[in-house]
Amino acid sequence: MKIAVCVKQTFDTEAKIVLKDGKISGDGINLIINPYDEVAVEEAIRIKEKQGGEVVVVCAGGDRATEAIRQALAMGADRGVHIKVNDPDVDEYARAVMLAEVLKEQGADLILCGHVAADDGSSQVPTRVAEILGLPHANVVTKLELGDGKAVCTREVDGGMEVMEVALPAVITCQVSLNEPRYPSMKGIMQAKKKPIANVDAVAVESKAKIIELALPAAKQAGKKIEGEPEDTGKQLAEWLLNEVKVEVKQ
Amino acid sequence: MAEQFASKRNIRFMLYEVFNAEELTQYEFYQDHSRETFDMIIDTIWKMGVDFLYPLYQELDKNPPQFVDGQAKVHPATRQFMRMCGEGGWINANWSYEDGGQQVPLLITFVNSLIMAAANCGLSGFPALTTGAANLILNFGSQELKDLYLEKMVSGEWQGTMALTEPDAGSSLADIKTTAVDTGEGYYKIKGQKIFISAGDTDATDNTIHLMLAKIEGAPPGVRGISLFVVPKYRYAKDGSLERNDIWCTGIEHKMGFKGSPICTLVMGENNDCHGYLVGEPHMGLSYMFQMMNEARIGVGIAAVGKATAAYYDALEYTKQRLQGRKPSQKDPTTPQVPLIEHADIRRMLLFQRAVCEGGLSLALQLSKYVDLAKVGVEPEKHELLVDFLVPIVKTFPSEYGILSTSAAMQCLGGYGYCQDFPVEQHFRDIRIDPIHEGTSGIQAQDLLGRKATMKNGAAYRLFMEEVKRTIAEAVEIPELKPQAEALAKGLEVMDDVTAYLLNVRKEKGPEEFLADANLYLEMTGLLAIGWQWLLQGIVAYRALQNQPSEGDTKFYRGKLVTMKYFFTYELPKANTLAHVMKTSQGLTANMDISLFDEE
Repeated sequence: MKIAVCVKQTFDTEAKIVLKDGKISGDGINLIINPYDEVAVEEAIRIKEKQGGEVVVVCAGGDRATEAIRQALAMGADRGVHIKVNDPDVDEYARAVMLAEVLKEQGADLILCGHVAADDGSSQVPTRVAEILGLPHANVVTKLELGDGKAVCTREVDGGMEVMEVALPAVITCQVSLNEPRYPSMKGIMQAKKKPIANVDAVAVESKAKIIELALPAAKQAGKKIEGEPEDTGKQLAEWLLNEVKVEVKQ
Repeated sequence: MAEQFASKRNIRFMLYEVFNAEELTQYEFYQDHSRETFDMIIDTIWKMGVDFLYPLYQELDKNPPQFVDGQAKVHPATRQFMRMCGEGGWINANWSYEDGGQQVPLLITFVNSLIMAAANCGLSGFPALTTGAANLILNFGSQELKDLYLEKMVSGEWQGTMALTEPDAGSSLADIKTTAVDTGEGYYKIKGQKIFISAGDTDATDNTIHLMLAKIEGAPPGVRGISLFVVPKYRYAKDGSLERNDIWCTGIEHKMGFKGSPICTLVMGENNDCHGYLVGEPHMGLSYMFQMMNEARIGVGIAAVGKATAAYYDALEYTKQRLQGRKPSQKDPTTPQVPLIEHADIRRMLLFQRAVCEGGLSLALQLSKYVDLAKVGVEPEKHELLVDFLVPIVKTFPSEYGILSTSAAMQCLGGYGYCQDFPVEQHFRDIRIDPIHEGTSGIQAQDLLGRKATMKNGAAYRLFMEEVKRTIAEAVEIPELKPQAEALAKGLEVMDDVTAYLLNVRKEKGPEEFLADANLYLEMTGLLAIGWQWLLQGIVAYRALQNQPSEGDTKFYRGKLVTMKYFFTYELPKANTLAHVMKTSQGLTANMDISLFDEE
């Protein structure tokens, strides 16, 4: 089975985000594979280990995207495709078109992705890719079983779960509970260096949406300490809630 | 718990800006490596630290090992971690391809050790011990021993230990009593008792392979009669199956800290059936073991840096957030309180911690690079001598000053630091073992002054001096660093002077008085060595600042320079006091009448 995994390179979830000239400053920030995509890579490798085949990692991004691809190769994927994208603000539509173009050429039996990216959290790209390629699609999958030409997907739905079957090839997005991604092994890291990464130019496509503004969450306000005897502090607290926090009291 | 337990930025600075790790890849042994592989290795271990090790740090302390069914029952994560390290190839990453390793420089694997120790020192000891034990078999064992034991050890299925200490022989290995009798059938019968054996018998692995010191019957007395044996818990029977060996864990100690890693008491040969297999030649055990001990001592130094670093980040985070008091200039009590870090005394303590942690790491990595260069044949004699000279310092400075550093971290947290709500008190307990195990500071000090300073007619000592002077010569050309360069140069003169003085004491008054203040000598040399490393870092930071770095990098380099200045202003001058004491103590401790301690 040939499995393609789409990975996005995101800022390290531990990184302290700083805005500079209205954009996120990449200065000194570590880049990682989007953690949800890492689950997709792990799932693909497990399928390959069980039934053979090939795992191709596809990543659309700038020069440093090869780091994310190498990490997936170190985990056990076989080869990578780096779609060179120079504009970091490319929107989900354009990104999906670029990925779909390459995925079409790859002709995978299964396309796995994370269900959301840890940076922009828009959850659009895999669904758009499925739509462009005209493939069945299952989202937020927590259990994946492959049968003859089909995949049985257990997925999270509000308040429960849903089991659905899709014909392969299909685009399936992974939830973190699907598996526990492995750490790259020492041997895997050394082998990753020798595994091929094809560089391809992104297909020319205009974004349909553009980011107007980025802002950090408001800084945490300092707490208020109320001191005194209980009867006074109770009164002070109530007054503070009413007058400063402006809590509405429904009669 | 703070979000951060170490600094990736500082690791990058050390590896690529100070020690030029990529330079190693020009040598054939490391040629398959690159900055990319180094980064991937460190990123992987970092991730393991963040996701797996650090969240378990306090849990391992709260749930220490229990002695159950004749072995230490450890936290289940220990087994998981050993397998993770085995399957990942981390236990033997330094080994050659031929031996199943990936030829990773020590410079990189010691950074791995730092990350692991900072994230969870208790767990980090298990694979490290196995690496050391497996190295001994690899380097000195027969092909048969290699074939039988190494694969399972490096896969993390079997634990390795170093079994030296006995009830009556701790620092004094010459006095071990464990005996080995040659049966003529390919094995020796071992009899005796060992204590304080880390990971000596746990349920984390399926077997434990002890690299044990014992004396063959009729061996010469003292250290020349010590041999090294492989003593497995489960040995191979004639048919190749595993059978129980006559070595038994009779209990575990209840320790102050470092609880994740149990220390065991072992009894061998109670039924006269403990099989041990000789490693290398008879009576060569101690010199073989010294190879493992050197690695273990560097490892202890790195682990101490790790523990102190984690405590530093706890203190840093806390002092930025905790509002307490006002600055001396704020007379109005109605003004808001300021974060602790606004107080100069808190900053002094934070700078002390940073100076110890980052200075200690720098020295340990300097040493690692010497090992890596010697290994590939670059001036091997010179680099091996520098390693010999620096090992006791790399082991001791971070251990002893690391205790002071974690103590300062606790002080930054005030009463909360003393309570279990924050992990600082655990770091303080955890690090206290480091000046004790793998050779106490007293042993390290005697090693430095009694052996290393004079070995090969002082060749190692001179090489150390030359290396430091090379850095001084570079720094003195930079006006901003000139005061520190000159202070360090004066420090070296003081060291020369006191060394000459002590050698004269040896000649005129004998070894007791000569070695009486060896610990002070070690501390003085440690301060100078750390000063050297700070000057080295200062040069790099200063030069980087000339190239208009980004805002974040500018702060980082300026932070380096201010910490360097702190070290030279507040800490280095202590070396002069130590030298003064050594020159004026006049054998006060060596010659005093011990009955003067009696009160009745």
